[in-house]
Amino acid sequence: MSMRVTTLMSSRATLRDLNDGLSRLTRLQNQLSSGKQITRPSDDPYGASRALALRGELGGLDQFQRNVDDGTGWLNTSDTALGQMSDVLARVRELLVQGGTDTAGPSSRAAIADEIDQLTESVKQEADVQYGGRSVFSGTATDTPPYVLGGADRYQGDAGTITRAIGPGVEIPINTDVRTLLGDGQAARDDKLLNTLRDIAAHLRGGTTADADALRGTDLQRLDANLDVLNGIRADVGARTNRLDVAASRLSGLALNSTKLLSDVEDADMAETITQYTTQQAAYSAALKAGANIVQTSLLDFLH
Amino acid sequence: MTSAFFGLQTSLRGLLTQQQAIDVTGHNIANANTQGYSRQEAVLEPTRPYILPANSVNNGSGAQLGSGVDIAAIRRVRDQFLDLQYRAQQMSLGDASARTTSLDKVEGAFAEPTDDGLAAQLSRFWDAWSDVANAPENAGARSALVTTAQTLTASFRTISAQLTTVAQQAQDEYAAITGASGDVANMASELAGLNRAIGDAVFRGMQPNDLMDRRDQIIDRLSQLAQVSVTDTGNSRLRIDFGGVTLVDPSTPAGFTWPQTLSRTPGGKLGALADLAAATGPALTYRTQLDAVAADLVRSVNALHTSTPFFDTAGTTAATITVLATTATVQTGSGRASGENDVAQAIARLRSGTTDQMYQALVARIGTEARAAVRGESTAQSLVDSIEDRRQSVAGVSLDEEMTNLIRFQRGYQASARTMTTMDEMLETLITRTGRVGL
Repeated sequence: MSMRVTTLMSSRATLRDLNDGLSRLTRLQNQLSSGKQITRPSDDPYGASRALALRGELGGLDQFQRNVDDGTGWLNTSDTALGQMSDVLARVRELLVQGGTDTAGPSSRAAIADEIDQLTESVKQEADVQYGGRSVFSGTATDTPPYVLGGADRYQGDAGTITRAIGPGVEIPINTDVRTLLGDGQAARDDKLLNTLRDIAAHLRGGTTADADALRGTDLQRLDANLDVLNGIRADVGARTNRLDVAASRLSGLALNSTKLLSDVEDADMAETITQYTTQQAAYSAALKAGANIVQTSLLDFLH
Repeated sequence: MTSAFFGLQTSLRGLLTQQQAIDVTGHNIANANTQGYSRQEAVLEPTRPYILPANSVNNGSGAQLGSGVDIAAIRRVRDQFLDLQYRAQQMSLGDASARTTSLDKVEGAFAEPTDDGLAAQLSRFWDAWSDVANAPENAGARSALVTTAQTLTASFRTISAQLTTVAQQAQDEYAAITGASGDVANMASELAGLNRAIGDAVFRGMQPNDLMDRRDQIIDRLSQLAQVSVTDTGNSRLRIDFGGVTLVDPSTPAGFTWPQTLSRTPGGKLGALADLAAATGPALTYRTQLDAVAADLVRSVNALHTSTPFFDTAGTTAATITVLATTATVQTGSGRASGENDVAQAIARLRSGTTDQMYQALVARIGTEARAAVRGESTAQSLVDSIEDRRQSVAGVSLDEEMTNLIRFQRGYQASARTMTTMDEMLETLITRTGRVGL
């Protein structure tokens, strides 16, 4: 026997269908207005946890980008300062050759020595360069300038290393140990740059044959040796800047990729959602129309 | 031989019976939209025949002459087996919808995946450490870190409190339903009253259809709360077992016993609420897991932040996690130099580590269980709907059918009246025309 269909049954069924249709419409409307297909974990538990992981990853990549930018700024500041020092040393070398010749008299040598004193101070000044209020060449003692201008030539910083995280587990040192170049001055007799420059000035002022010999011989060699050290340091800084550049472009590539993955997981496909929405809307109005007809008609309408 | 008026009686019975059948139809039509109403049916039956003695008919034997119709009973059309199935599914639905409501609140408390969720805040916390690592000398970065950490711990505490509230609400709802003046008590007392009225009516040979409908409707509602089983103890008075205890018993003076302690697994909504309120229930389990996330965060950050604890070591639950560090005591490096950032760097490296992973796993678990609950509810709902459809198919009022019956009984009434007119005309012939030959 076929199923008896009763009045309450058809009205209940109509109501149920209308409710279902409306709740589907509401869900799609929610997706359309938020642009997200996951608005709560139960919408798609796996997708939701993946979205969280991807968001975390993306946040990390953004932070690494910022770290790279900061590191690049630091290294650029160092490089500029080292470049200036290099220019200064070129001038010193010129003066040294000039002062070493026999034609130079004591007064002109004294003048050259004065200029070298000034240049030495400007080397120390370059070493005291700051990035964002921090001394870049003082190791981790960033609140202390590495050399005191007009004072002793002793290094004031420490040998600490400052690093920037540029990727998960990847850290790169961004500071340069300037002590290996400048040293601790005449008192330390370490043949480093400040020691050498001070000795050159002393030899220029000394006026003895030994001084003149030193000017022409060992001083020039010592200056050249320090120039080599400086060039080595500059090359190292340049190499690290390159590494940061590479890291920056890799990070932006990764960020793009993660953003795309996150969007795939989390964002609603607009074309699809709108199509579904239109379909559901049509179904809903059809259900409304059918409901209006079904609920009203009965044999009662045809009896007189 | 029967009396000349015998036919009039037969027609009268026809008239009265058809009229009563129309009354029953009218009752059905009036209740076409009444919830829980079962359609009623007038059962028509021929009345006892008039016995004609021997030699009444041509072959010399007796005969029985039909004497018309009467109503044998007014029957309630209902399938008890569908009721049993319906109540079993109602119980599952009660369980599933209580769970869905509760897990919905849990999901709301976590508010994932959004920019304000705990995952986003953890990410911002690691960002703040990275910023400190980039500028360890900068008090501004340290102060931003402390503020971010305080926001993070506040979120932990808020979510923990909300989870406690979800469990507490389940407990309160359970207490309200089972309380001395709660739903169960009201339904039990009404059922006891209905049992008495129905028993009395059945004892006097009547079928109290509408009272029975009312009683079935209350049992339907009761079955949503917990497991219900029903036993007829005679005269259609029911003993009702509810959640493992006897709730309604016609043999006791009051007819019901409440409050009582239900068995450990009453099933239905009450079973779900008891489970949700329990320490092993979902809300408090999630809270325990959130505690583990908080403890992991405190442990891993403090292990690197060695000078003074960054988080209070006493607060290792989501409800008690507290930032102890201030802008002055945030440790950036292991030494004294202002530019050292190894500690900040190491803490920033914790990003996407165990804390984040534990939290993501927790969110995934909540999502999975909430989804299962939503699906369970919709399955239970569609089963209830389909059984209710079948129940309605048997017991519901079909207006088309009632209209047809109305015509049937109306015609029957008209025909009985016509028979009576015929009888009347026969009698008129007999009384006024007979014996007037030659007048």
